This record gives sequence, structure tokens and C-alpha cells, in this order.
Amino acid sequence: MKTFLVKNFFASATFVAVSLFPTLSTAADTPDFSGAWTTYRGNPGAPGGPSRFMGGELKLKPQAEKARQDFISVTEGTNHGAGNSCVGSGMPGSMLGSGGYPMEILQRPEQLFVVYEAHNEIRRIYIGDEAGDPNDYFPERNGYSTARWEGDRLIVETTRLKTQVDSRYPHSDQASIREEYYFDTPLLDGTPVLAADLVMTDPLWLEEPLITTKRWQALSDYHVLTYECTEPLWLDEMEGLYEEAGLEMVQE
Amino acid sequence: MNIILRSFSILALALVAGHAFAHHSAAQFDFRNTILITGKVQEVRFANPHLRLILEVSDEARGTRDIEYEGHSRNNMRRQGLMPDMFRGGDEVTIRIAPMRNGEDGGYVTALRTPDGAEIGRVTGAD
Repeated sequence: MKTFLVKNFFASATFVAVSLFPTLSTAADTPDFSGAWTTYRGNPGAPGGPSRFMGGELKLKPQAEKARQDFISVTEGTNHGAGNSCVGSGMPGSMLGSGGYPMEILQRPEQLFVVYEAHNEIRRIYIGDEAGDPNDYFPERNGYSTARWEGDRLIVETTRLKTQVDSRYPHSDQASIREEYYFDTPLLDGTPVLAADLVMTDPLWLEEPLITTKRWQALSDYHVLTYECTEPLWLDEMEGLYEEAGLEMVQE
Repeated sequence: MNIILRSFSILALALVAGHAFAHHSAAQFDFRNTILITGKVQEVRFANPHLRLILEVSDEARGTRDIEYEGHSRNNMRRQGLMPDMFRGGDEVTIRIAPMRNGEDGGYVTALRTPDGAEIGRVTGAD
């Protein structure tokens, strides 16, 4: 009887989960990662393991360590920081830091559109023929990402990164990042779990690759928000102009 | 001073502690020794990445003056239950802050009590 009830509980939970969450496959028979995701917390009441597994520490070469320390010396204990200026984390920080603020994925056959709520940070991951030659594009903090399917796994290669000292994961513009996305074992109630193995290599700044795995769990009823951040900067500037001109500013 | 009411929200302290999505260094704030402050709202801007709140505060040591505080992001404060228009200029509010380590006025708002008595974050009557 108990076994029957347990089986039915999980069958019901799975049905509910399938109803609430995005379908796990597309017409092209590849997984569909679309949906809102938060930091992996595991099964309620049971140890779920960490949302990240570090396979190695970030080991900086001497010139990278100096660049990092220079940045710290001018910002430590101050309000200065990229995020405080409404600038996104950039890869790999945008991906590894997501979850506290949710991450949303919208998937088309030719593109994965990833929105990290914090800073409204957006990544476009071009798949298959949609992917261009990265060298044709300007470097950005999130780089240029192309992808291909290998079975049920999406392999994402990111290059054209900018040198970043203002990141928890400093790197030079020679860094490249490989991510491998896949569905991990779902929670007992059927909640999907998304995982990504990440390897960042950087011949200029890293003594050895950064290797880690990040996991998220799906959110069924989450309201991902926009993240307006730059408007206050403009309003302050505008207010100054009005004050200088002796005019009343009505916009708030 | 213009009374500005713009967007708003509070980040769960757990999220701050666990996720540490730091927009800047938090070293200047003493999160281990939070205190309660009551004052009159002079200006509040509910914004990302941080709340900005100016309160008129009075105490014996330093008299009456306006103090500027910062706090969690609008998005996370919203998820904690804060709604637009909960605070207006002139309202008396109680906030919990992580004070400045150097003893100066100001600090980081970790929780607050709304004008109608609702509590958001870690402000409690026992404090």
C-alpha cells in the first residue's frame, strides 16, 4: 500500500511538473532549455548538494594577479564597482553568478537567448548555421558564443572576450570558455534541473583552466523582472541640467 | 529638497549572504552588528542596483540631520513584498541597517517597517 502511494505520489508530481514546466524536447528532438531557472537547492528536506562544483581554483599568473590587485586597490571599501555602474558581470561571471537573480532562457532552433535578470544582462548563443565567425565581431564582456548539439548536450564555445579585472573571474582577452549544457537528474517532484560544465582557458592570465559545474532548478511560477538600472543616472544628470537652468523638473 | 518616489524592492538577506551578487565592495558596512534607525523620509528612490533612502534622523549625540542610506535592489525588495507607493516623503519609518564601520552616518538597509506596520526583512518588535 505504502509503495503504491509513493509511486502514485511521484507519478502525480511528475504529471504536475510536466504540466508546469516547459517541454523537455523540441520538434527537432533536442532538449528545450527554455524557462526560468534559479540556483539549485535540491530536494526539500534533503541535502541536495551544492549548486556549483569547483574542480579547481582560479590560479592567476603573476601579471594577472598584479592587474587584479591594482583594481582592488582602487575600489576596495568604496562604492565603485561595475554592477554599481549598471554594467553586467560578463562571462563567466554572468553565468556562474546567475540564480540569486533568476536566469531565463528562450530557445529557438538557431539561437539560445539567455537573460540574466541582474543588470538585464543578455547572451545570444548562436547555434548551427546561425553562428558567424567570431572574428567578425567586436569583443564584448560576454564574448561571442556559438553552439552545436552533441546528442542531448549543447556545447557552447565563447571567444572575443574583453580583458576583465573587475570580475570575480579575471581573464585576459585571450580567454575562451567552453560550456556544456544538459538536463541533470530532476528533483523528486519532477522539477527539471539544468547543469552546465564550464572550462575557461586563458594562456595569458591563467596558470591552469578554471573548471566548474553550475546547476539550476526550474521555476514554475516565477515572475522574471526587468532590471532598470541606468535611468537614475540619467535622472540625476537631467536634474542637474534643470537646476542649472533654474527650471522645475517634473519627470521623476 | 525634492521628494522623489521612484521604483523600489528588498533583497532577501539570505540571497545577499548566499549569492553575494555584490555590486560593489561591502567591506565598509558592518553586517554583523545591525542596528535600528527611525526617521522621517526625505527622499526615497527605489532603484537598481541599490535603494537610496534619505531620512531625517535625530539623536542626542549629533542632533537632527539628513542621512543617506543605500539598500537592496528594487527587484529583490519587490520579491520581499515591498510594493510601489508604500513609502512617501514625510512618512516615519524604521529601518535596520548595517552601519558604517568608520562610525560615520549612513549604512546599508537590510530590512524595514512600512508605514502601515508591515515588516519586510528582519525588523522585529523585539529589537
